[in-house]
Amino acid sequence: MTTEPVGLSVNLPSQRVMQARVGDADIAVWRGVSGKLSAWLNRCPHRGMRLSHGFVRGESLACLYHGWHYGSDGVCNYIPAHPDLEPPGTIQTTVFSIIDQDGVLWVSVDGAAGGQDLPGDSKPVRSITFSCSAKAAKDALIGSSVADGSGGELSIHDIAEGSNRLEFKSANGLNSVVVLLQQPSDQSMIAHILAAGDWSVDGMIGISRWSETVRRQAERTKNVPNSDCQDEL
Amino acid sequence: MSFRLYNYVLSGNCYKVRLFASLLGVSYESIAVDFHPGQEHKGEKLLQISPAETLPIMLADDMVLTETSAMLGWMASKFDAGKNWWPVNEPTKITLIIQWLGFASDLTLTIGEARLHSMLNRDVDVDRALAGGKRALRLLEARLTEQSLRGSQWLVGENPTIADIACFPYAALAPDAGLEHDDYPVIRNWLYAIRSLDGFVTMPGIHEVHKLRDTENTL
Amino acid sequence: MLGLERAKDDWYPVAIAGSMGECESHTTRLLGFEITLHGGKNGAISVNFGETDLAVQVKFDHVWTTFCDNPRPLFDIPEGDEPGRVRVPCGVVRVKCSPLRAVENFLDIAHFPFVHTDILGAEPHTEVAPYDVKIDESKNEVIATKVKFFQPQAAKSAGDGIVTDYVYRVAAPMVSILYKTCPPKPEAQDVITLFVQPLDEETCDVWPWMALYDYENSMADMISFQQMIFVQDRSILENQIPRKLPLDPRMEIPTRADMTSIAYRRWLKRSGALYGALTEAV
Repeated sequence: MTTEPVGLSVNLPSQRVMQARVGDADIAVWRGVSGKLSAWLNRCPHRGMRLSHGFVRGESLACLYHGWHYGSDGVCNYIPAHPDLEPPGTIQTTVFSIIDQDGVLWVSVDGAAGGQDLPGDSKPVRSITFSCSAKAAKDALIGSSVADGSGGELSIHDIAEGSNRLEFKSANGLNSVVVLLQQPSDQSMIAHILAAGDWSVDGMIGISRWSETVRRQAERTKNVPNSDCQDEL
Repeated sequence: MSFRLYNYVLSGNCYKVRLFASLLGVSYESIAVDFHPGQEHKGEKLLQISPAETLPIMLADDMVLTETSAMLGWMASKFDAGKNWWPVNEPTKITLIIQWLGFASDLTLTIGEARLHSMLNRDVDVDRALAGGKRALRLLEARLTEQSLRGSQWLVGENPTIADIACFPYAALAPDAGLEHDDYPVIRNWLYAIRSLDGFVTMPGIHEVHKLRDTENTL
Repeated sequence: MLGLERAKDDWYPVAIAGSMGECESHTTRLLGFEITLHGGKNGAISVNFGETDLAVQVKFDHVWTTFCDNPRPLFDIPEGDEPGRVRVPCGVVRVKCSPLRAVENFLDIAHFPFVHTDILGAEPHTEVAPYDVKIDESKNEVIATKVKFFQPQAAKSAGDGIVTDYVYRVAAPMVSILYKTCPPKPEAQDVITLFVQPLDEETCDVWPWMALYDYENSMADMISFQQMIFVQDRSILENQIPRKLPLDPRMEIPTRADMTSIAYRRWLKRSGALYGALTEAV
């Protein structure tokens, strides 16, 4: 299992929590008041409640059900039903490795998370979920060129076999769009999209609309049989 | 009392009025209606007030209102002196707000219907309602994404308007119908922004943000 | 399937009495099987499973049925029949969780400040004082007594915050009854129940029912209050992992505040009431 991108940093401000899926793992990702990131198994050890529904207090994440607090080390530090009790250190969540690199959140469930370098001036555009197979999503992305909203086009560049990173570049090479793919299930794919270079607001909005066009194409073709998936049909 | 509301606690449409009244600090008279299981909104007593068989019903200034857009517009006109929620002097904004008020009805007809099925066992075409709900959430996510790229976290302009109030309940209640928010990060942050407004009130299915309380002010 | 045969010996609620017109029929599920309800004369409701007529009885304003020819007797709630009480069937709410998770949540008070904020609980009044739990061997029921909790608005009929006294009874694996302080009549206790219809091991229809002393509020007010409380719980119940109730003590970590839940899980295990339960750690 490699490190997966699970979201854009801009979409997880401090004191917020979100859900992510890496392989089979359901994960709660959150930031403390200082901005410190954590990624945990999305399950309160007390009664199994998804921690992604919880709320952040300072540098702790509290479960929505009974308010049990867990510090950024994943250890329970407060049980509201017993305010004077120091919780035993054995009550803890399963902690995964997470980093924020160049505005993208990367999680690994089996070792230290390692992110990818992006062009230095990359700005987040959006994360968009496709309801289709990874292959259909990737084919549609590779087969398209990015309309930048102001008449220009960026074409696909540098795609390594099996890579979950696609890069589109303008003819002069100054502007680029990076798409990082996350596969939360067999029938969905999340594209985390960033833009580098000189982009107006309208240009960024153009990228967002382009991603919707690609999604429509990908989802239209998702049920078309091909040699790779005939067995499933 | 500024108005009377025939109200059902689990209705996202009734909640639009409760929420907006609370944000504006307006008190009103609430009459509970047994929508489920009693179907009281289809009983003669309520049909005498409004034959539309819908909730909420608002009695305000001698009017009988059954459309939540009209209720929100009336409340903003009447109680928001700053004209922030319904900026009548800004033609582009009010036009877009009307557009999103219409969209809010699509949320009701898709997510709202699917929720009636998954929660109260109502007989509806649930596959169709869920597909429509997913399409609506994608439209909302796209709009809010573009707004955030423009530097705003609200549906229209730079401030919250009645468009946000109208779209909030059924977008927030989507998980009740089995449509999770996980695929919609910008919607998630917009929901949080609304939940953080001064005067925000919850409804079942929409939880508090549980900010740390100033215990001296409570109880 | 674990526990199915035992579960078939119990009675389950499937409708509010009198809720179906003559010749009306509708299909529902019970323990994974499709059953059909038919409205008859004078509000009577009969139940079929395939070609078989199932036994039916009306009690606590609900229609109860069972797959068994010789079922366990339906429990009693003597207080429910006291004159002067308003009996309130609150309507069905569907939840994607084990029927046992729904019952366990009903037995829990520590979640009040976070899930029923400013109604059944509020920070900083989060502490759960010790209380008593036992198995009443004569009735084969779980009983929790001397449960106390500070509540900002304990009932529709309550004004300011009060410390509320609770007694809990688990009268059948999928039935929980609570007796709590009745704000307008301190010498009596309100009765609030959760009757659960198991559709399958991971989905249930919940039929709350109440027998209250409340002369001020309308029926719609009382129903609204109970639906508000239960639907606040619903989003929790649909997000507990796993959906079935784990009986292996290694799966989840209780504290002293969870004594009722601990007793309930042990009682389920020793009774073999395993429908909707997970018996091994996953």
